[in-house]
Formats: sequence, C-alpha cells, structure tokens
Amino acid sequence: MRMAIQGVGVTGGFGCGVDALTSALHRGEPIVGEVDGVPAYQAAIEGLGDFVPKRALRRIDHFSKMTLFGAFMALKDTGLSDVDRSRMGVVIATGYGTLQTTFKFLDSYLDFGYACSSPTHFSNSVHNAAAAHVSMQMQATAPSLTVTQFEMSVSSALLSAQQWLAEGRVDQVLFGAVDESCEVLRYCRKEFFGDGEQGPLRPANFSEQSAIAGEGAAFFVLAAETQPAAYGYIDEVILGNHATCPVKLPISDELIVGADGHQACGQWYQEALKGREFAAYAPFYGSFPAAAGFDLAVAAVSLRDQTLYTSPGADAGGRLLPRKLDQQGLTCLKFGGGGEYGLIRCSS
Amino acid sequence: MSVKEKLKQVLIEDLNLEDVEPDEITDDMALFGEGLGLDSLDAVELVIIVQKHFGVEIKDMVESRPIFESINTLAAYIEANQP
Amino acid sequence: MTALASIAITGLGCLSGAGLHVTESLENMFAGIRNPQPPTKFTTDHPVASLVLELGEGLKLPLDEQESRYSRTCQLALVAALQAITDAGWDAESLRGKRVGVCIGTTVGCALNCDEFYRAYKGDDTPDMGIMERFLRSNPADVVARHLKLDGPTQTVVNACSSGTDAIGIGAAWLRAGACDIVIAGGADELLRLTYSGFSSLMITAPEPCKPFDLHRKGLNLGEGAGMVILESESLSRDKPKKSFLQGYGSACDAYHLTAPHPEGEGLKRAIAEALSVADLAPDQIAFVNAHGTGTPDNDRVESRVLSEVFPSVPFSSTKGYTGHTLGAAGGIEAVFTIACLNRGEIPASIGFSTPDPELPVTPVRGPTPIRGDFALSESLAFGGNNSVVIFAKGDA
Repeated sequence: MRMAIQGVGVTGGFGCGVDALTSALHRGEPIVGEVDGVPAYQAAIEGLGDFVPKRALRRIDHFSKMTLFGAFMALKDTGLSDVDRSRMGVVIATGYGTLQTTFKFLDSYLDFGYACSSPTHFSNSVHNAAAAHVSMQMQATAPSLTVTQFEMSVSSALLSAQQWLAEGRVDQVLFGAVDESCEVLRYCRKEFFGDGEQGPLRPANFSEQSAIAGEGAAFFVLAAETQPAAYGYIDEVILGNHATCPVKLPISDELIVGADGHQACGQWYQEALKGREFAAYAPFYGSFPAAAGFDLAVAAVSLRDQTLYTSPGADAGGRLLPRKLDQQGLTCLKFGGGGEYGLIRCSS
Repeated sequence: MSVKEKLKQVLIEDLNLEDVEPDEITDDMALFGEGLGLDSLDAVELVIIVQKHFGVEIKDMVESRPIFESINTLAAYIEANQP
Repeated sequence: MTALASIAITGLGCLSGAGLHVTESLENMFAGIRNPQPPTKFTTDHPVASLVLELGEGLKLPLDEQESRYSRTCQLALVAALQAITDAGWDAESLRGKRVGVCIGTTVGCALNCDEFYRAYKGDDTPDMGIMERFLRSNPADVVARHLKLDGPTQTVVNACSSGTDAIGIGAAWLRAGACDIVIAGGADELLRLTYSGFSSLMITAPEPCKPFDLHRKGLNLGEGAGMVILESESLSRDKPKKSFLQGYGSACDAYHLTAPHPEGEGLKRAIAEALSVADLAPDQIAFVNAHGTGTPDNDRVESRVLSEVFPSVPFSSTKGYTGHTLGAAGGIEAVFTIACLNRGEIPASIGFSTPDPELPVTPVRGPTPIRGDFALSESLAFGGNNSVVIFAKGDA
C-alpha cells in the first residue's frame, strides 16, 4: 500500500525545519560545523521550547529532545498540532540509540559504585525511551515501535509502518529517523578511520573514506494512500541483501543514494549502480545510520517541488544539475557494510 | 551548610529542577504529587542521591515511604543514620 | 479493527533458565523446577544481590570458537532460530532462494554496552576497539540473516520488554503484505551487568526467587535466553503440519509514564481488545492467558485488575518464575510456551504464587492445570508504556 507523506519535520546540520532543508538544497553547498577541531554536523534543539514546557523536559536527554523537536515540527507542518492523537502510531528508527545517556549511566556506576547506578539515566538509555517521550508528550496512545538495524533502520521501520496503515491499526504514523553523535563516537571514528574524517564529505568517491559524523532527527506524518499528500507518496519499501540476491533498481526512477563517505558501503553502491547517474545529499547532514531518513526528507521536498536538486560537494562523480522531475519516480537506496540494502520508492 | 539546605540544592541539581529556587522548597512541602511534583522515578533517584551525597542507605521503598514525605522527614532520617 | 487472516506457525525454538530447548523447558516447568541464584558471570558491589536465572550447563553456542566475535545475545538468537528452523522442517540449504525475513526483539542486544571499553576510555588505558567492532557486528536480526545467507527484510525491534511479542506481530504483517514468504520471529537477550545494575537501581529486583501475583512479591529476577517461531505463508505451509496459528496481535501505548504502567491498564486493555477483534474472538473463547507477571508490585497489580475485568474466569499463569524476566526475549520465549501448553492441554503452576494479595482481584493457577479450548493469549507490558498481546490457535501437529 502506498503511503501519503503529509508533513515533514527535520533538525540536522543544515538547520531546522523544512524551509532550512529547502534553502540548503537551493544553495547546493554544504555548511559543515566543527566539534573539538574536527568537522561535524550537529542538530539544534533550541526551538523545542515552543512545543514542550521546560519542566516537562527536565529528564529528557539530547537524543529525545531532537526526537521531540522533529516530531512536533512534522505535526505542525501537517497542521495537526491540536488534534486527537489516539490513532496516531509512533515509529522511530535509530542506528545507535541514545549514546550520551548510555555513557552517563555507565558514568553513574563507574564513578560512584554499582549501588549508585542512576535509575533516571538507565530508563532514558533504553532504546525506546524517545518514542515513549513522544507518546507521552503528544498523548499518542496507538502502537509505538522503535527499530534499530544500523544502516537499514529507516527502511526496515518504514516497512512496518506501512503494514500498520495497511491493516488499519492506525490512521497516521508519526515516523522518525534519529541518531546522535557524542565524544566517544568521535573517538571511535578517529580510531577506525584515522584522519579520513577531515572533510569534505565526498559521497560519490566510493573507494575513499570521507565520512563526517552527523546527527539529527527527520520526521514524517504518513497516512494511507487515500489521504491527501502534501509532498508525495512512498510507493514501496524493499529490503534484501545484494550479496545474496542482487538489487533490482527501478529503471525509470531518479536515484537518491545514501552514500555518505564510508568506504565499506561504497563498494556496494559502485557495484549496484553500474555507472548510473544518482544524487547524494549526505554533505548537508553528515554520516550516521538514520541519515537515510534525511535522504527521504530530500525526496519528499524534491517531489513537492518537482525538482531534483544538485548534489552538494566538490566531487563531480554523481553531480547533477538541478532538473525537473516531470512526474518521474524517485528511489532512495541505502546500503549497509554487508551488502544489505533498503529501497524506498517514492512518487508524486 | 545544613542537611536541609544541602538536600534542597542536590535535589534541584540532580533532578534537574531548573525552574525551582532552593527557597521555594519549604521544609514541610510535600515532595511527591501536589507540592514539588516528584514521581516514582524521582523516588528511586532520590535513594541514589541520598546514598551518594550523604552516605545513607535506603533499602526498601515500601517501608521507607514516610521518609520521603518532605525535606523535614528526609533530613531527619539522614541525620539519624549518617555514618 | 476488522479481522485479519491468521498466519501459520510451523516451528518453535527456545532456551532460557527453564531449559535449553522446548521439551526440556516444559518438563522442568511441569515438574515445578526452577534455579534462581546470584549472578555468576559478573560481579557488582551491590550490598544485596538480587537473583537471576542463567542458562543451564550444556549450552553450545553455534558460531565460531571465538565467542567474542558476536554478542552473546546474537548467539542466543541464533540457537533459538536454528531450533525453530529445524522444527519447521527447513535447513539453511532449503531456505536459499526463498524470501526469508528476520524480525527479532531485544533490549540489551543492541545497546552500546561496553563498560570495559568505557572504563578504559575514561581512564588511562587504551580502549580495546575490538569491543566496538563486536558491537557493530552484533545486530541480532542481521546476524541471523547473514549466518543463514538469507535474502529478505531484517528488523531488530527495541520496544523494551514487549519487543519479542511485537516482533511476532510485525513478522505476521510482513507475510500478509507479501514482503516475504517466511519470517523467523521472536526475541533474544543476554544477562548483563548493565541491565542488572539498571533494574537494581529502579528497586524492582528481588533478592529471593520471584513471586508473581503473590502478596509478598518483592520484585523480579532477571533472566536470559531467546525464543523464536517460524511464520510461513499460506502457499509454503499448505501441506505441512502446523504447530499453531498466529490469530491476533494488538498493541497500544499508555502514554502515561516512562517506567510506571497506567494504573488502570488503559493501554493493556486496548491492546487486548485489538488482538481479540483482529482474531475475531470473544474473551470467553480464550482457554488461558500467559500473563506478563514479572513479580513487581506495580505490574502484577495492574495486570490482575485488567484480567479480572476482561477475562474474569479464564485461568492464567506467569512463567517468569522459571525463566526470570528475559526482557526483549520474554515475548518470544512465552509465545513458544503458550503454543506448547495450548497443544498439550495443560498449563504449569504459576510458580512463586502462594499467598493471595487482597489488592489483586484475580490470582494465577497454583498447580499444573488442564485447560480446554483452542485459543490462548500472551501479554507483554513494557517500559515506556508499550503493551502488546498475541493470540495463538491450537496446532494440528
């Protein structure tokens, strides 16, 4: 069953809100931030206060704040800020979950002994804490689902959201892709990739490590195909493993690929694309598993504007000039390091 | 600093009650429900706070319910059990 | 909700503190045997150790000698998945060329649990990057799919303690939608110092064998293990004996509190109602209920209230006394138990229960109890307010 994309809410390295993403697409040049002297993309959460009172946020960590911010912006974008949400499902896809709070919990017992393990940090470190905060703050009492599947998190979770709508379990799904960065993650990336992460991020250079850590939340309000779509539709979600059974790319669709400067995944893109033209937007938001949600947000904006925007960055490999979509389909392709892939087919 | 003053300070810090000033917490104010508005998750965090900052152990939540009523009761328990 | 097609279940696999496979688990449970003890795999400085249920002697992990390549959770998931695949009459070879999905619930199986790494990182030692590499290799659904060289959707569900139940409901939806032909679905979780400390800090663990629904219940015992079922499409399962059918699945969120259940069990009631309506069944058609029954004061009170309201005369029991609370695995393990007991026509004693609590309107069975009927329901309540319910039908094998 097709899913209507009714609203979008994003916070990431390019800024927050659909307008910020749209202007980044218009500008076509990435703006990379910096943490500890290393290039990094960070997501803002300052606007969350407009949606949630400060007291309600006292136990809510950065990961859940990004989540709530993205979710509330998506609802606002849909014009659903004040409606009954008892039939709105919540689905969240995340590659790593809340990293900072996981380490804060470890801090509590490594620093003060096991008897001083913090129950608040523990509760918030559980992967579905962010979804729970969304349900509570929005009184969304329908089913809630959190999925973690590294690079496949977004396509996998989307497949289940689609079934909820098809089976009539919910009228709408508030779907989000969230990941956060932290000091330990940056340390690990440096250990794994050395100085390969100095930027710029060159998604089309498949054989080179050029990833830059990013974070953010990308949310969508999805409904059954009979409902109006402000952006476009998700037609089909397909997951598989290219190493076991080669991916079949839709012939006439334009392609947005999730290549984000990771060498281990690059080889799969190279193999599957076989020289086909594609667009890649990771230089706007950086490299993290849930960034596939941002690829989908770009697809949504592109369908709305009927324009395939220029891929940002210096490399010419997959660089396209902006062009009209002319009712053409758009497919998002994401690979994991083991050849596993997610295909999200979208159209107007 | 008295036990009561220190308690108010660590409550605000460790429970992230950024919108509350120490003076606003009166000694006999109910900590849970109406009053300061803490909940069951704060209660178990309070056990850790008391252990960490005052070295006093609280073992059983059901039996200890009266201790958590107010700053007065909590401070009295800490003072009576401090090592 | 309208009724949905039931889905055939052709294979079962499970391991937990109750036993290393289905038959052994049932033997132990019907004999009333359980082995809670202080944890042996890790130490903490908690003044009073809460008890846990570890896997028995004789567990053989299937992946290479070097156990450190994958997390223990992934290994447990694979053990249960292989049992279930064999039970369904498949093997790795015959699954080739089919569209096989893997949907596995877990809680700690995907958390960046690395206290060794982090201790070194915080201190002066050089952290062992091998620990991180293992984490990056250890997504349970992915490990099962890769080990069996499967082609199909993979999903690791992290809905805390309802994960295993949700994974089975989701796997069935994939089949109905034609996203694949077979789904390996269930849950897996290992026992870790991290969760042990976390649950201890919430003050809901017991230093004695847990007593679900008893007046003197003090909390839960943690456990570990995995439970999987094989769901098959109509066309593949047509000529095979069926172990069971997944008849209904329902889920709802309390949207009430991060760690406490809704006092009236609003989400649980809604999840039960949805599962019944999807299954097109009335409450009195349910032969027995496998309760979540962790042994914590709050959980058991809410569950008993809801059961008295919806299923006032349906027998129920908790198997957490035999397995401990296996978190993300619980839904998978208990789905297997529910199906096996339904087919056997008998449920084991709800071990640990002896003294009724006047606050609880209904109480579980005290001894092995014969049951009559074709359908059974298993419920899971989770941290974050998730409530999930599955209904199984009796098999023909």
